[in-house]
Amino acid sequence: MLHKTASLPNPVIAGISYVFPACNRSVRQLAGDSMLQSSAETMEAFGFSNVHVGTSETPYDLAREAVSRLLVDNGIELDSVGLLIYGGTPGTMAFSPADEADLASAGFCTTDRFKYPSARLQYDLGLTSASVFGLDQLACTTLLGAVRIARSLCMTEGIERAVCVASEFFPMHAGREAIFNCTSDAACAVLVERSGPRNQLVSGSTVTKGYYWNTDAMRDEVVASYFPTARFVAERTIGNAGWKPADVDWIIPHNVSMRSWQILSGLLRLPNAKLWSENIARHGHTLAGDNFINYRDALDAGAIEAGQRVLLFSYGFGAHWTGLAVEA
Amino acid sequence: MIAKPQTLFITGATGLVGGDVLERMLRADPTMRAYALVRGAAGECHLRSTLGALAARVVPVRGDLLRRGLGIDYEIRKALTREVTMVVHAAADTTFSRSLAESRMVNREGTRQLLSLCRAIGSLRRFSYVSTSYVAGRALGLVLERDNGVGAGWVNAYERSKYEAEALVRESSLDWVIFRPSTIVCDAVNGRVSQVNAVHRALKVYNRGLAAMMPGERNDTLDVVPADYVSDAIARVTLDPHASAQTLHLCAGAGAISIGDLLDVAYDLWATDPMWKRRGIERAVLADLATYNLFAEAVRETGDHRLASILQSLSHFIPQLALPKQFDTRIADALVGHAAPAVSSYWASMLAHLLASNWGTARKAA
Repeated sequence: MLHKTASLPNPVIAGISYVFPACNRSVRQLAGDSMLQSSAETMEAFGFSNVHVGTSETPYDLAREAVSRLLVDNGIELDSVGLLIYGGTPGTMAFSPADEADLASAGFCTTDRFKYPSARLQYDLGLTSASVFGLDQLACTTLLGAVRIARSLCMTEGIERAVCVASEFFPMHAGREAIFNCTSDAACAVLVERSGPRNQLVSGSTVTKGYYWNTDAMRDEVVASYFPTARFVAERTIGNAGWKPADVDWIIPHNVSMRSWQILSGLLRLPNAKLWSENIARHGHTLAGDNFINYRDALDAGAIEAGQRVLLFSYGFGAHWTGLAVEA
Repeated sequence: MIAKPQTLFITGATGLVGGDVLERMLRADPTMRAYALVRGAAGECHLRSTLGALAARVVPVRGDLLRRGLGIDYEIRKALTREVTMVVHAAADTTFSRSLAESRMVNREGTRQLLSLCRAIGSLRRFSYVSTSYVAGRALGLVLERDNGVGAGWVNAYERSKYEAEALVRESSLDWVIFRPSTIVCDAVNGRVSQVNAVHRALKVYNRGLAAMMPGERNDTLDVVPADYVSDAIARVTLDPHASAQTLHLCAGAGAISIGDLLDVAYDLWATDPMWKRRGIERAVLADLATYNLFAEAVRETGDHRLASILQSLSHFIPQLALPKQFDTRIADALVGHAAPAVSSYWASMLAHLLASNWGTARKAA
């Protein structure tokens, strides 16, 4: 776990960019196409309205676009990036559109498995000074995990600037619903810097429960354990930051159902008004980086003010609960 | 002058408490005879097997609380009205999930039928009614033994039907005493469990990692008792002339355990098993009732049948956890002569027994 370290400045989030595929689908359209397990009414009652569905784009296309925008928007000199962490869609599947993912997955059985999107990103974008890491198997907490690693390496290895990116398409044959959440495809990139005036990464915490690795078979237990574990991780993240729950000004959620956030807010004894939930209806739940997409949008909307204390929290299939405390 | 021997008429003698009350009363008074209402041959066999030699002083009476006149044979009825000196009414439908109409059939109307019979018993000295402390329903805070639960409402139909039956008993012209046991969780302070009930099933669900959220606050208490305290109290106080028209809380009272401790003791015991601990089951979180209900509603809406079914089965009593109350036991303590054992003295033993017997299934298999 990350702890607030008095002797070192906290690394910061210096920029965020994200990209969605061009195709939008409403939950009613998805229900009509048998892409949901629950009814459209249930999904709407849970706060979902639209999602973004990858068609001709590839996960790699989105990742590259997200990082390109991040670098341009923040005026970053390419050589200054010392670390690149790519998370999400693995290997050759990252280079295939959703409707060709089946064919691409066969590449894992050949030397094509060494065609890594992380290395290609470094080359395509000219990030030649960046050490490259690929991060996998954290599902919807991948980008939070990447940012935690970047934070740690900034603090321990003196890296000044890191780019973290996650790009995920929901498996084509899995429909669009995961444990009552309507999912989008997306890529999101985060710029982490060793120090800065805003958006300090104060603390983080992760709990992994390997017992739930077979998520479909353990669905009942996952649903039952979700809330107590989520509360534990949220409270530990807040505690590691040296805060109390009441100090939290905003919760930046992963875009799961509003109902589940109302329950978790109740357990944390935080009012629903502290939950920035604008994007749940607009974008649905991305595997790539809800929290950072939402954080960026909340900043752009002027909702989050400098110095406010923000809790980012996400759950990833398989099963990982992660929190991140950010001082805006 | 030689006192007339006592003759007991008891309902519910095949149950945990009723059977123990019968046995205790027969042992305490070697001249006592008893009639025991049973529904059929299985009940008769049960009495014979559990009472042993004492069964020779017990006459099983075929009947049913649901039937007019309890469905008792005319000649037996005549014998009852001639001989019985005391009645212990321990039979009840304790299923929390029944509709109100169903619960009333046994618990209220059955009591009405029995009271009607008792009015014809010439030498009846005492009518003991075994109720429940949860006639207090949704009441909060200190519940006195003289309180009759009016106004707060009830969590389930069982509570309400027992409340209504109490009212019938009080309105009768009989010499009555009402016993209100708390939830029985084990046979005795050794923790042995011979009857698995809703509390045990909730603990099982928690053990399986499927009940990780419960309503309530850590420092609120849960009142439970062992069966032998309850049956001893009923057996003794039924014979006590000073108990006339008294209502007794047979409850842990000040010896109840906090919900936080209750859950912690369970969790810590289970976590001593490395395989259980490896699953990473989180300690149950306590939520306010609104948050808990939101969770239950979300599970229902999503059509997650197994979890929804579990939550539905818990819903008939688990809201009591969020309705903290302490049962005053001063009248019971004075008449019984001592308080119920503190829950902390047997809670861990009870949990260990549940675990060892796999919630009773190991015993059945054997």
